[in-house]
Amino acid sequence: MILSRRVVISAMNAVCFKRSFATASSPLVPVQLPSRKEAHLWYVVPDEVKSSALLHNYLDILSPSEKENVFHKRGEQLQKAALLARVLVRTTIARYQINGQVDPRSLKFKKNIHGKPELEWNDDQCQCAPSLQFNISHTSSLILCGVTVDSLIGVDLEEKQRKLKNNILAFARRYFTPHEVKFLSSISDPVVQQQYFVKLWTLKESYVKALGKGFSGLPFRMFTIQFRTAEKGNSCPSGETNNKGEIIVKSLEDVNSFSSNWQFALLELAGSHYAAICMEKDEAVEGEVPTPMKLTVRKTIPYVRDELISGPDAFVISGLT
Amino acid sequence: MASASAASVTFRALSKPSLKSNVTSSLKIVSLGWRKNGFPSLRSSQFRISCAAKPETLDKVCEIVRKQLALPAEAELTPESKFSAVGADSLDTVEIVMALEEEFGISVEEESSQNITIVQEAADLIEKLVQKKPEA
Repeated sequence: MILSRRVVISAMNAVCFKRSFATASSPLVPVQLPSRKEAHLWYVVPDEVKSSALLHNYLDILSPSEKENVFHKRGEQLQKAALLARVLVRTTIARYQINGQVDPRSLKFKKNIHGKPELEWNDDQCQCAPSLQFNISHTSSLILCGVTVDSLIGVDLEEKQRKLKNNILAFARRYFTPHEVKFLSSISDPVVQQQYFVKLWTLKESYVKALGKGFSGLPFRMFTIQFRTAEKGNSCPSGETNNKGEIIVKSLEDVNSFSSNWQFALLELAGSHYAAICMEKDEAVEGEVPTPMKLTVRKTIPYVRDELISGPDAFVISGLT
Repeated sequence: MASASAASVTFRALSKPSLKSNVTSSLKIVSLGWRKNGFPSLRSSQFRISCAAKPETLDKVCEIVRKQLALPAEAELTPESKFSAVGADSLDTVEIVMALEEEFGISVEEESSQNITIVQEAADLIEKLVQKKPEA
């Protein structure tokens, strides 16, 4: 399914983009803001971005320090992924405009005390919704950006096949909680165990990224991620696609309570990656039956093509939708 | 290498200039004795330096990083190399720290991991933690 909302561009904007994007076939298609309980996910597959002219034009969007960062990466693949990550963030945010076009180059970013990137606003930059929240994650083969309105969001990507150099249980004993170690130990199939390790890792990363603290700000052994199946109350390796279940996080300081402020979703993306999404819950529904996290997934090559994605390229493994 | 001029002593870094900041920040000069002809005498008993990491420690860190990231032999890895620049993501960095813990028999607090962004910083932290270990 192709997003083909035709937008009439003003002459001024056409000139702006034409100058820089001779090879691009279309401008950035603007989109409506996500609703309060919704997260928009945008992803880029680096291997599908082949045109060096396009990549060259993408470089123009970046700030000087972002460009420097890209060039400091060793090797073409790392540089390309770093470039596409910044392009994805800037162009994605630029699409959510209220009053007219936003030049992705004009966006400014800052970092919080733990290093989480955030949007920095001037008074004159009122075109974008000031309450936009975003988070990004990438591997060498996939770049993902999640966007919400008002809710804190954290996303993490990992290749499904990611193998540890260390032994999984040794690693879990060192960095995860006893509950999670017990959970992983209970899985006899090494392939399934490895997959659940990756799922746990991405979910834990998405949580600390949503909080804006990162791994060093909130050590992984301080909180437990549990998978709850729809049938039982206990966590156990649930079936893959049919049994959606729920993912919850528990602070280790108070094991009997669980943090109801956060909801999770775990997806399989592009057939190759697990993507964990952690989002702050809408306060309005506190105490009620958990509201499903609504996700809209789009694959994009900025200025070239956007596609609305549903299964099998993006389907939810766990977490209510 | 020390060279004196008038009343000041300057130290020039032996190797790459970028290592200089590490060396100077770790230098603790207790006292310098001056002879009659104006040249300083660096008496070892009064001259204490806490250095940046030993070369062997740096080498070992590089070896572990190379192994974790499966870097090709020709890939450059220096003390100033940023982990993220050579392709280490957060999981790689944690695995590297775990391997360093096992190799050197130390324990690295998760809170410290945000300070380990380049090879040199990892080696320096290891040196600090190894020195803190009780005598065997």
